[in-house]
Amino acid sequence: MNPSSSNPPPDDSGITLRPHTYDGIQEYDQRLPNWWLYTLYGAIAFAIVFWFAHMIAHVLPTNEALLEARLAEIAAVKLASSIDVTNDRLFWDMSRNPVFVDAGKQTFNSLCVACHLASLKGKGENPAAVGPNLTDQAWIHGGTPKELYATVAKGVLAKGMPAWEPVLGQKKTAEVVAFVLSHHEPGEPITIEVPK
Amino acid sequence: MSPAPPVQSKIENSKSKIRSTLRPTVDSVTTINADGSRCDIHPSDVRGPFMTARRWSGWGLIAFYLVLPWIPVNGHPAVFLDIAEGRFHFFGFTLAPQDAWLLFFGVTGLGFALFFLTALFGRLWCGWACPQTVYLEHVYRVIERWIDGDAPARRALQAAPLTASKAAKRLAKHGLYIVASLFITHLFLSYFVSLPEVWHMMHEAPGEHWAAFVFVFAAAGLLYFNFAWFREQLCIVICPYGRLQSALTDEHSMVIGYDAQRGEPRVKLHSHVGAELARSSNMLSQDRASSAPTVAIAAFGACIDCNRCVQVCPTGIDIRHGLQLECIGCAACIDACDEVMTKVSRPKGLIRYDSLVKLAGGRTRWIRPRTVVYGILLLIGVGVASFAFSTVKPASFLVYRMTGAAYFVDRNDVRNQFMVRLVNKRATPAVLTVSTEGVPASVAQTGFAAPVTIPALGEQVSPLVLSVDRKTYFGPFHFTVTVRDAAGTYQLSRAVEFMGPESKLLEEEDLENGIKR
Repeated sequence: MNPSSSNPPPDDSGITLRPHTYDGIQEYDQRLPNWWLYTLYGAIAFAIVFWFAHMIAHVLPTNEALLEARLAEIAAVKLASSIDVTNDRLFWDMSRNPVFVDAGKQTFNSLCVACHLASLKGKGENPAAVGPNLTDQAWIHGGTPKELYATVAKGVLAKGMPAWEPVLGQKKTAEVVAFVLSHHEPGEPITIEVPK
Repeated sequence: MSPAPPVQSKIENSKSKIRSTLRPTVDSVTTINADGSRCDIHPSDVRGPFMTARRWSGWGLIAFYLVLPWIPVNGHPAVFLDIAEGRFHFFGFTLAPQDAWLLFFGVTGLGFALFFLTALFGRLWCGWACPQTVYLEHVYRVIERWIDGDAPARRALQAAPLTASKAAKRLAKHGLYIVASLFITHLFLSYFVSLPEVWHMMHEAPGEHWAAFVFVFAAAGLLYFNFAWFREQLCIVICPYGRLQSALTDEHSMVIGYDAQRGEPRVKLHSHVGAELARSSNMLSQDRASSAPTVAIAAFGACIDCNRCVQVCPTGIDIRHGLQLECIGCAACIDACDEVMTKVSRPKGLIRYDSLVKLAGGRTRWIRPRTVVYGILLLIGVGVASFAFSTVKPASFLVYRMTGAAYFVDRNDVRNQFMVRLVNKRATPAVLTVSTEGVPASVAQTGFAAPVTIPALGEQVSPLVLSVDRKTYFGPFHFTVTVRDAAGTYQLSRAVEFMGPESKLLEEEDLENGIKR
């Protein structure tokens, strides 16, 4: 049923038909809403201006430049809070400071204990443990603080020691090193041991 | 709203020289003039049961939206999408980003529910529940009615030259629009950062929270533009859901329709025929056994062509032209027509919720392939969504290998190193036991010897190392890692593989090196 069939014919003033007919279907030729047309014209104008500014005149920074700037910002923040990890003296100082040692102990107890045990003695306490003893004066990969830091940060991948710096960040890694060093004294003898 | 006088349109028209000149056609959109400019709609006030019901449901929905962030459930707002912490709280039910897959079932469940309802009842959503309609009709148009007066007054004001009083009214109206928009957007932000945080940010300089500031003001600007000027254009030109719903209905769906069989041909009440009809129908209603009317009622329709249904329409259509895409199903024309029909002592329901088939004299079929299929989809959707949500546990966990090699072989043993990430989704600390099952007795395990306590909404990553003595090594195997809470109310498990070389290879290597096994 078409209810409009019984209505007076619609007022079609101002409505024209397009000349073409497809499959008997004709098309009205009505104007689009002005707000719609202005949106379209605005979008076209913006596209041209943006394309010109971005691709031709280069007055806008390129995506690469924006990325570089953002990466530099991140690097600056990292540098501002980073420490000199080759400074043995700094690590020794940290290892005498309870704030660093306690923080390092927490991280150690949640991650490192699985292999080095809570006593830090590792194989020294239980031959079935995975990690070596960290309390004696025999070291496999170097016993100075900066060597210790390098071992924890980069890991010993062939032996199963993971690289922790990417996981923990520099600060937490340094805290763990400080905690291990708190079991040692500055100036104690260091022997390099090759595992059997 | 003013009390409705009898056949209000006539009163309105006599009150003012500015008449509604709307003559909607089915060939063009009423709100767009032939030159493309906008034709503003000033719907007349309407009163009736549907309008009352719509006011209450609309204000109920607005109250629901405004109140949710203020009601704490388990220490968080009832609905709190905490993006910063990655925790999503729904009435005490907390989800983590790991539960994002539930979104699929939530969205499809809602989608099928809307399919089903639309097939049965047409565009109920648009007229009764869509935020566009709810805020426009029950907030912004209420403000406009309050400041500018009824429809003829608004039309007159729009046509009037700019005077001090008009400027004051415009300032007051748009000022209130902006306040309402800002209020809505601030509440919206609080769904994501919580009210105290929004309050805190409002007390600091915009520069401290640029993103939130820009978001709130851009969203408020958009709302203001939409509700102050754009209005029904959104429904007519932009909203895809309105178009989608049109495809979901058929001639048996309930829509708002005009009963042309009863209504046509129209007769103006003032005409000679109309006066006769009115008299006879009054006689009929007073004394059913009285003499026959002087004019054959059957020859004329019930519609008195008062145009009231057009005047109240918020999208500017004439419902008597039949179902049109502009119709948002708001039922204003039903109330308007029923009121007029009551005044002229004719049965109500000339415009009503009904199916196109029924309006044409047929019978509505409720059970048809479309409703059955949508109904089955809805049942499947609801069933699967309920099951999926019931499987969500208050914690989740993941087992992955530590960086480095997949396995390690040394002089003594073969070793696999895992990390276990435990996520507590509850607002209270959780005590969790992590155990392995299906691990042969000869395998040593370190990590998770004791239960671990995960702080409220916290996470912990800890190692789990499995090693097998080289001499008893028998090759790779599968095992299960299981997490249980201390109270034993739930458990989660994951299948993990212990990787390693074939045991024969190790035997051969040991033989070559002369190591006794």
